[in-house]
Amino acid sequence: MDDQACPRCKTTKYRNPSLKLMVNVCGHALCESCVDLLFLKGSGSCPDCNVPLRRNNFRVQLFEDAMVEKEIDIRKRVLKDYNKKEEDFATLREYNDYLEEIETIVYNLTNNIDVVGTNKRIEQYKRDNKEIISKNKAKIGREEVELEEILEIEKQMEDLRRAEIIRMEQEAKKQKIREKEALIDELMFAEGDAKEILNTFAQSKANKPEVLPPVPKVTQFSTGIKFNRGSTQPTIPLIEEGPLYKYEPPIQPDRCGPDPPSIENIISGGYLKHVRAENETEKAGGYKSTLPCLRALQDALAGLYHAS
Amino acid sequence: MFSTSSQKKFWTFSDDNELASLREKHNLAYIYKHGQNIDEFQRHSFFLSPEEERLLLKQYELHLKEFCKRFSPPMPKGVIGTAFHYFKRFYLYNSTMDYHPKEILATCVYLACKVEEFNVSIGQFVANIKGDRDKASDIILNNELLLMQQLNYHLTIHNPFRPVEGFLIDIKTRCNLANPERLRGGIDEFLEKVFLTDACLIYAPSQIALAAVLHAASKEQENLDCYVTEMLFRHAGQDKLAILIEAVRKIRSMVKMVESPAREKVRIIEKKLDKCRNQENNPDSEIYKRRMRELLDEDDIPHTGSSRMSLDTSGVAQVLSPSAS
Repeated sequence: MDDQACPRCKTTKYRNPSLKLMVNVCGHALCESCVDLLFLKGSGSCPDCNVPLRRNNFRVQLFEDAMVEKEIDIRKRVLKDYNKKEEDFATLREYNDYLEEIETIVYNLTNNIDVVGTNKRIEQYKRDNKEIISKNKAKIGREEVELEEILEIEKQMEDLRRAEIIRMEQEAKKQKIREKEALIDELMFAEGDAKEILNTFAQSKANKPEVLPPVPKVTQFSTGIKFNRGSTQPTIPLIEEGPLYKYEPPIQPDRCGPDPPSIENIISGGYLKHVRAENETEKAGGYKSTLPCLRALQDALAGLYHAS
Repeated sequence: MFSTSSQKKFWTFSDDNELASLREKHNLAYIYKHGQNIDEFQRHSFFLSPEEERLLLKQYELHLKEFCKRFSPPMPKGVIGTAFHYFKRFYLYNSTMDYHPKEILATCVYLACKVEEFNVSIGQFVANIKGDRDKASDIILNNELLLMQQLNYHLTIHNPFRPVEGFLIDIKTRCNLANPERLRGGIDEFLEKVFLTDACLIYAPSQIALAAVLHAASKEQENLDCYVTEMLFRHAGQDKLAILIEAVRKIRSMVKMVESPAREKVRIIEKKLDKCRNQENNPDSEIYKRRMRELLDEDDIPHTGSSRMSLDTSGVAQVLSPSAS
């Protein structure tokens, strides 16, 4: 660890105890101050290999060997696309071949072997498996959310348990003190044999039933759904309703003539014999021969009383 | 329904005298407006008299009928009736000297085609007109809005054709008249003539239709009087029957009086009209052409006094430029 040094400014851990080495995707290390200096504009090229880098991709070097860091980066990137699972393969053999391929790609990229070809291979794979990749990505996202939820629940339970233990311990301590005092009192004021008193106390202690840990508070239904889940939904507001709508037939205007027959009278009175019957197509549109018949009769009779 | 229509409310008049006085009023208004620098005596011989205007319009109604009959594609009867209504209504409130009937006639038919849903394009329409078709379509489109405004946008017309169908259905159902279809010839002939009279400005369409049916029946030596009295007016009072009988009688006598005006007289009137007509509304005049150019030059024509509710025509000349569009 002591010989950790920035390859650019040659500062060592010895000379600057707060030295922090940073690495980027290319795997070449730089100290924090050099990063600040070189990547003032946010992007620049690596002083070792001239690969264009971005400042916000720099992170603290965790492993001494920079190659390991580089490999981690590459692996992360590759696995983002190579996210198939064992279930996606028919046989174990195929799955193993797939894993082997991932390892080959990671190795090649890490050691700069056939970088262009390998990248092409990745692109090809991405194109071929677009659907599966995006599906698995979504799946992983969901799984992560579920995992987080489980962790959260576990944490809560843990907190509860810890608080319970502390409480019980305190309780036990108090109990012990009380027993001790009782024993001393007994020894001080009782007339009997001290040994006997000690024995009876030891017996009563042994006879005391074990205090059961209290049942943890129920925070969920038996189905596993938490209590507070549904209650966040807003309650449906009640709407004040006015009086119910009541149909009132419109007022018939004065026809200024004799009343025409009603539709029933048109049908029963034989008017339809003198009107062209509707055909199938017209029926579909809602047309009936009673309508034009009624209209003609209405028009004929309306206005007959008109006085000029 | 006719009883609630604008036709009954605004366009049905009490009698011939009311129509005549309206026409005379607008004839005099035109003469007063355009004849101020002509002395009293000459004014009489220069301008058209109300009677001359009437004669001229009768002639143009005949033209209208002929035009509609010869129209291709053949026109439904409703369109013809509507066009007649528009033409008559327009000249109740306008003088022939202000707007030449030849131009208004074509515009009325064009508008009637639209309102009655008889679909013809302007190109198809002017194909039926002799002479310069581009000019004709210009005139029609220019006058269309003017016409609608003068009709006060009361475009729905109740024609007597549907009531005729209603009566025929009713007669076939309720009367034992032998073969009512034979009345059709007489009815059509009667209705054709009715539009050459002012009956449609005075009576309800159903009254006109009934008059047509009764006329056709009497021509066929049939009598439908009992149908009217026993079926139609059984529950109505005697007074209402009397009104109807009088109306039918009047309509029939109006139709009987129809005669085409003498050719010679009309020719003289037309010559007179060429001189005394409002040159501002004459598409052939210099004054009209100059104004059209001016309007074209202006991009945006400020619209003045467009919402006219009263049908008084004082000041119509300023309001209604031929391109009020």
